[in-house]
Amino acid sequence: MSEPGGVVCRECLDRAFVNVRADAGDPRLRHAVAQVAGVDLPHEPGTWNHADRSRAYWLGPDEWLLVVEGDDGLEVEGRLRDALDGRFSVADVTGAQVQLELSGHDVGKVLQKSSPYDFHPRNFPPGRCAQTVFAKATALVAAREDGAFDIVFRRSFADYLMQWLADAAAEYGYRLAGWNEP
Amino acid sequence: MFRIRCPYCRELRSEEEFSYAGEAHIPRPEDPSSLSDAEWGEYLHTRTNPRGPHREMWVHTAGCRRYFNVLRDTLSYEILAVYLVGEMPPEREEAR
Repeated sequence: MSEPGGVVCRECLDRAFVNVRADAGDPRLRHAVAQVAGVDLPHEPGTWNHADRSRAYWLGPDEWLLVVEGDDGLEVEGRLRDALDGRFSVADVTGAQVQLELSGHDVGKVLQKSSPYDFHPRNFPPGRCAQTVFAKATALVAAREDGAFDIVFRRSFADYLMQWLADAAAEYGYRLAGWNEP
Repeated sequence: MFRIRCPYCRELRSEEEFSYAGEAHIPRPEDPSSLSDAEWGEYLHTRTNPRGPHREMWVHTAGCRRYFNVLRDTLSYEILAVYLVGEMPPEREEAR
């Protein structure tokens, strides 16, 4: 839930990140992902779905990012490979990704400072996600039902982006929360 | 700076998210080894460089990472059409 005032940043640990590329029109694809990750693949551009411990983000017309909590990337990859058929690509990208949860009353302002993308709720309501320029890096940003945002970016940008966020959010009151804090 | 409507993301996005990828509709020669140096040089380097509508490729680098074609006026920077790779620009612009 959004906290009153300020911006709270929390790293989301213990997650498997798997990149999936396949023909969006193949009915076996949706079935395989539902079977392995328990989440429905979004087919609408710029949207994401979540179910229980899994999230599926639209990255392109034939590309998705699956994020599964408490699972191992290689195992998810293996299960998807077994469940899929035909021409596809499944890659465990867990080691390359960092996911942050940004919450707080002023989180929207920090996003607006960081990117040319229009993060106003009118354009970016819950359920939407966008890959865009974020500071001088690129990131996948997703709007959640509780008013918070999930941000996924490359691990090599972590130091830079964490410093950027701390600086950009300082004027609103910034707090870096431990992963196990409420 | 201008904004481009990505045909895959179906949104107007800032130019900052894209990279220019050169003139569109330049077919690679079927048999490069049979070309003279002049013909190969022509294929590699000679571009139309028009003053006005220009058919060019862009890639949504920071977004969906897909290539597509844009018909853009090099004088006004107005984007006249956005269309997919493998397609030709809409008829009216072709008739110039």
